[in-house]
Amino acid sequence: MNIYIKSCAQISVQEPLCDKWFTEPIKHEAPYVRALDPDYKPFINPVAARRMGLILKRAMATSITALKEAGIEMPDAIVTATGLGCIENTEKFLKALSEQGENCLQPTFFINSTHNTIGSYIAVQMKCHGYNNTHVHRGISFESALLDAFVKIKLEKLNNALVGAHDEMTPDYFTLLNRVGFWNGGFAGETAVSMVLAKEGDIRIAGVEILYMPEKQKLIDAVNGLCAENNIGVNDIDLLVTGRNNDDDNNKAYNEFEDLFNLRDKSESYKNIFGESFTASAYGIYYAYECLKKGINPKGKNVKNVLIYNHYENKDHSLILLTC
Amino acid sequence: MNKTVFVTGVGIISGLGYGRGATMDALREHRTAIGKIRYLGTSHDLPVSEVPYSNEDMMDMLNIHHDTIMTRTALIGKLALKEAMEDASLNPAEQHTVFISGTTVGGMDKSEQFYLDFLSNDNHKEYIKTHDCGTCSEMIAEQYQGFEMITTLSTACSSAANAIQIGMELIQSGRCDAAVVGGSECITKFHLNGFNTLMILDKEQCRPFDQTRAGINLGEGAGYLVIESEDSVKRRDVKPLCVLSSCANRCDAFHQTASSPNGEGAFLAMTDALREAGLQASDIDYVNAHGTGTQGNDLSEGNALMRVFGDNMPPVASIKSYIGHTTSAAGGVEGVISVLALLENYMPINLNYRNKIEEHSFEPLHQEIIPQKLEHIMSNSFGFGGNDTVCIFSKIKEDKI
Repeated sequence: MNIYIKSCAQISVQEPLCDKWFTEPIKHEAPYVRALDPDYKPFINPVAARRMGLILKRAMATSITALKEAGIEMPDAIVTATGLGCIENTEKFLKALSEQGENCLQPTFFINSTHNTIGSYIAVQMKCHGYNNTHVHRGISFESALLDAFVKIKLEKLNNALVGAHDEMTPDYFTLLNRVGFWNGGFAGETAVSMVLAKEGDIRIAGVEILYMPEKQKLIDAVNGLCAENNIGVNDIDLLVTGRNNDDDNNKAYNEFEDLFNLRDKSESYKNIFGESFTASAYGIYYAYECLKKGINPKGKNVKNVLIYNHYENKDHSLILLTC
Repeated sequence: MNKTVFVTGVGIISGLGYGRGATMDALREHRTAIGKIRYLGTSHDLPVSEVPYSNEDMMDMLNIHHDTIMTRTALIGKLALKEAMEDASLNPAEQHTVFISGTTVGGMDKSEQFYLDFLSNDNHKEYIKTHDCGTCSEMIAEQYQGFEMITTLSTACSSAANAIQIGMELIQSGRCDAAVVGGSECITKFHLNGFNTLMILDKEQCRPFDQTRAGINLGEGAGYLVIESEDSVKRRDVKPLCVLSSCANRCDAFHQTASSPNGEGAFLAMTDALREAGLQASDIDYVNAHGTGTQGNDLSEGNALMRVFGDNMPPVASIKSYIGHTTSAAGGVEGVISVLALLENYMPINLNYRNKIEEHSFEPLHQEIIPQKLEHIMSNSFGFGGNDTVCIFSKIKEDKI
């Protein structure tokens, strides 16, 4: 059975809910950039919006946009990826706990602090009783969510799924992660990407692989396996999308990978456009999706088979093959 | 497509102690672990069920240096994982094996201790990196080589059950041969205070499914199950403990923290789990209820149980009266207990029960009975946001393996 990405919507440090970045990307020089928010009125009732954090507003806006584009009113499932969940509320509760002690805390921040607040909020708003899960695994949270939906559709437990990646970045948490070099080689962004997976469409998910600390041979086998399953050769990959940034440590794995498969000339990156976050890899898949939709990459080269390779701290690796 | 998935090993740690034996002994003796706080540095005097070891104790048990960067959730998880791996004699490198874990707390125990330092200085910055849930899973698994994939689920109190569900599907789809699944969670001031602000923590011992129930006692613990395909079981020549018949996840889609009065999400998850297991409601011999002891949850869950089972209610009990609510780990801890209940033909009873909930047609199992038949156990895990997941564990039929 074939599984497709039917639609995709993003809010990021680029123009929201459109593909203007493809031809006119906004260049960011600052180390920390908040996402550019659209007008949320078309998506959220203003009374409710006052009580909602940005991460929820963005999740609602991208979800509604992706579902509308896919022509699906009620998805069979809502699968969410997030590295840190609703970190703004988590921090507010943590800060109050640290500064004021345990006796004058309010429940609001706690209620909206859990990682699954996002997925369940979407479900409550849509009255969606379907499958609902939240993946929270470091830099491959999104690939984990994508794999979940992909496998469930393959097993015919679902016809379609709304898959999203959502992370916000607060000034305090930026400072904190900066202490441990999280932003080395890139700028901090925020993630809001939603896509609809379905059994029909134009852009096919030809395979999803997640590998933990793979030896070189495992990585080679995985790439060859993905190609063989789809009756293509590694030479037929006309675009490699990687999580490359300006950090040599991070790029080492990408360099080796490009050399291993002779893909250096076909390699493009997305973190220079969308920034870094736990779920930034979702922009890699989104980048590939837009290229396939248009048939070209931003440099105008024809694109038919795209491999997306991402790793996090050289431990968690992922490979996704998209074709059209 | 729906290949049989076997459970071949379990590991557990909770307030009742470390290991299968300690756990089942306490359940059989009706001995609760709920009592005064020993390890959590809080000003609240609330009953909880803490794992009866300090971090240093657990480091000694695991042969880890005391100065190692390590969170309590990771330590608890490591112990449960160790027992599960030994129980199943599993070497992850010898077949395609994945590790899927559920947690929400992650490294919060250290974050809440050092948060102001994180913001202003480098004194404890190594714990900034242990905050997120995924890092916690990798710390738990690091003593083993060969897991091909590690991922983490966080759906509040159904996290571990959802990890079981993901592992099961990765096996059914042929993407791996074996999966180690479950979850780990320590008690933190963060969620103790969070639940306290919601006024759902009982100041007395919790009383699930009792008319006078007044809330949760928090617990901590970890539970992992080794699950495998039939091929893997045969190839490794191991004796499976039982079958994981199904695992279904549905959403209540009602409210961020409250359960719907009719328990729609729970009802859908239970009926889906039955359908996927190819079972009728009447096939279920015992229900390990979520039964947190709050007014809302128990009412909702009981109503959903009445919708599923009608007049033929099987014995229903919540073991949270022994081990407290182990939150994200609950699906793993209670999944292991469900497996042990099947193996030992023993149905744990619900402690602290006196009066039937008015709206309910049934009483929880509160006196020991010898089961006429104990073949299928349903285990419920429901989380904040209406993330409801139900697993069904079954005895192995004679003709299977």
